[in-house]
Amino acid sequence: MEHIAIIGGGGTAAALAHDLILRGFSVAIYERGEFFSGATGRHHGLLHSGARYAVHDPEAARECIEENMILRRLVPQAMEQNDGLFVALDDEDMAYRQRLKDACAASGIPTRDYTPEQARRLEPGLTETVLAAMQVPDATFDAWRLALPFLATARAGGATIHNFTEVIGIDVQGGAVRGLRLRTLTEDVHGARGREWTAPADMVVNAAGAWAGKVAALAGVHVPIQPGPGVLVAIEGRVTNMVINRMRKASEGDIIVPQRRLSVLGTSMWLTNDPDHLDIPPEHVQRMVRLCSEMVPACADAAIRSAWSAARPLIGNADAARPQEISRTFDCYDHGTRDNVSGLLSIIGGKGMTLRAMAEKTADIICRLTGHDAPCRTRETPLLPARAFYRS
Amino acid sequence: MSDAEKTAPESPDATAPASSVSSSSLPSPSPATEPQQTRTLTVRVQRSGPGGANARFDDYRLSVGPEDSVLDVLDRIRVETDPTLVYRHSCHHSSCGTCAMRINGRERLACITRMLALGTDVVTLEPLRSLPVLGDLMVDMRPMFAHIDPDWGYVRPVEKASTGVPHGVARYTRLENCIECGACMSACPVSNGTDDMPPATAQPAQHAAPQSTRQPARQAASQAASQAAQDTDESLPTDSPADPLAAPLFIGPAPLAALNRELARHPERREELLHIGKGPHGERHCRRHMACSRACPSGVYPAKDIMDIRMMHGGGKD
Repeated sequence: MEHIAIIGGGGTAAALAHDLILRGFSVAIYERGEFFSGATGRHHGLLHSGARYAVHDPEAARECIEENMILRRLVPQAMEQNDGLFVALDDEDMAYRQRLKDACAASGIPTRDYTPEQARRLEPGLTETVLAAMQVPDATFDAWRLALPFLATARAGGATIHNFTEVIGIDVQGGAVRGLRLRTLTEDVHGARGREWTAPADMVVNAAGAWAGKVAALAGVHVPIQPGPGVLVAIEGRVTNMVINRMRKASEGDIIVPQRRLSVLGTSMWLTNDPDHLDIPPEHVQRMVRLCSEMVPACADAAIRSAWSAARPLIGNADAARPQEISRTFDCYDHGTRDNVSGLLSIIGGKGMTLRAMAEKTADIICRLTGHDAPCRTRETPLLPARAFYRS
Repeated sequence: MSDAEKTAPESPDATAPASSVSSSSLPSPSPATEPQQTRTLTVRVQRSGPGGANARFDDYRLSVGPEDSVLDVLDRIRVETDPTLVYRHSCHHSSCGTCAMRINGRERLACITRMLALGTDVVTLEPLRSLPVLGDLMVDMRPMFAHIDPDWGYVRPVEKASTGVPHGVARYTRLENCIECGACMSACPVSNGTDDMPPATAQPAQHAAPQSTRQPARQAASQAASQAAQDTDESLPTDSPADPLAAPLFIGPAPLAALNRELARHPERREELLHIGKGPHGERHCRRHMACSRACPSGVYPAKDIMDIRMMHGGGKD
């Protein structure tokens, strides 16, 4: 079977390696840093029901609810399955309520209404001014431990994985990719660092997330990737057990994701061209705390444990005036038909929790291009536990 | 929370992004937007090859803002100055457990340790002890995970009683506190080979402490492990990595903390679990330094778990 080289070591790459191994391919992953150190690991950890996207981005909403149900089954040990609430705090929120409910129904997202009294029995930390609440099947996940089982299972199945290995070139000859030029960033026992080497490949998949544009440029092709960073804030204390969402159009400071002894507040969004230099503007931190404390007042008094930024890999060409409305769906580009560079694919867009679906779509295309009739098996194939990664 | 962790931002200039506090190697931002608390520090980073080969320190001078974590600064050094600087990181908010390292000699998570709160002009970064160095600040976590069964659970019921649960949720649950970062493994004097407590007569095993505190930790642990292997016919799981550190004298605080959590989840498996916890490489080697509990960035208190296991009857040891 063909050898597929995957550039990037995020969740998508891990899930793709797993999928391709199950379909019989030979696979190698090359990641510049630690695995999941880009957007995957920095995720707020909200296993979306899809309700957040239901009104303005129904395709992403359907992807979310489908993957939500699959991942709950595949990686239960990486999750707090306590569901989520959308809470209405003012007339505008109440006016949005029916639209949200209808859109959820249209996308197959189950909902259940609660009175303010019922909602505060479930979550006593909610503001006393809550007007209505709606349960959706949100959950919390640990991003590292959600993605690691895919990598562990892929490696146990024969994938080779290289972290701290930078791709410095994509070898294209006669309009087809032949392999990668690589640099090992770690030092060897002789004190040499930055050893350069090459690895042949029958196909190369650019799964570099927000860095996909930079990787594509190595082969002289373009992908419309638009890094969209946002600030997240982890506060001390578990202010709720359920995920809390503001009942309005997806905006900033409208999610509270409890996890262990923390609560993660998110998220702001702006657009940048350089995913390596991510600001953490203090005013964004303050805004996340202020907006989330409207839903759960205790957020305002909690100490901040960490504030960080993560770059979403948005598909570009959208109106930057309201980046929250850029679709969060994903796409896979075959650069053979688009750019006359055969054997090169780019998987772009998407969300942390759609890693498996992104992998399925990409692996389907690889099967079609290589003429293999191998169906996707990742929906039902059990994954190794996260800790198994360290047993190989 | 330790004093070095991030606290609520109180920037005098709320409009200045943290990035205006930039490395000295970049063009300086306008002084008008630079937060007043910014200071120029030296970050001294241990660099090496695998196994600590060719270990030395590299110094980086850069200006640091009040909100900058050690991880923020490492990212800046890597992106702007030295792309070959190797360290592990993922979540940036103390959940993944990848960025534990020794910061000014103490085990901490780089992501929640604020540079300026350390209060020193030179901040020294070294890899964890007790685990083999793979390069620079990165250690091999496999020897620790060799003794945490991958199938042990990671979810528990929440502590606080709730006044209700949503439809379809039997009870509120949450992930375990332990993020398996290895800080406790590094801090434990028995594991890292710095145990200088006099031998206690009550110690149940004669090989409880490494023979000499002057020995390098690796050598001491290796010798002690061989002795332990001779002393007992019970062996460690066969899937342990070949590295001698993978079969240590003492499996260490993190595996025992995980084991105690698994005992709470599965009381019916008590005998089997205690067989590990009270086995030849288990709790008997703990000398109650309590360094593990002090080092834990996640509120686990492994020393308490170890004492719980010590007090339990079963595992064929009582």
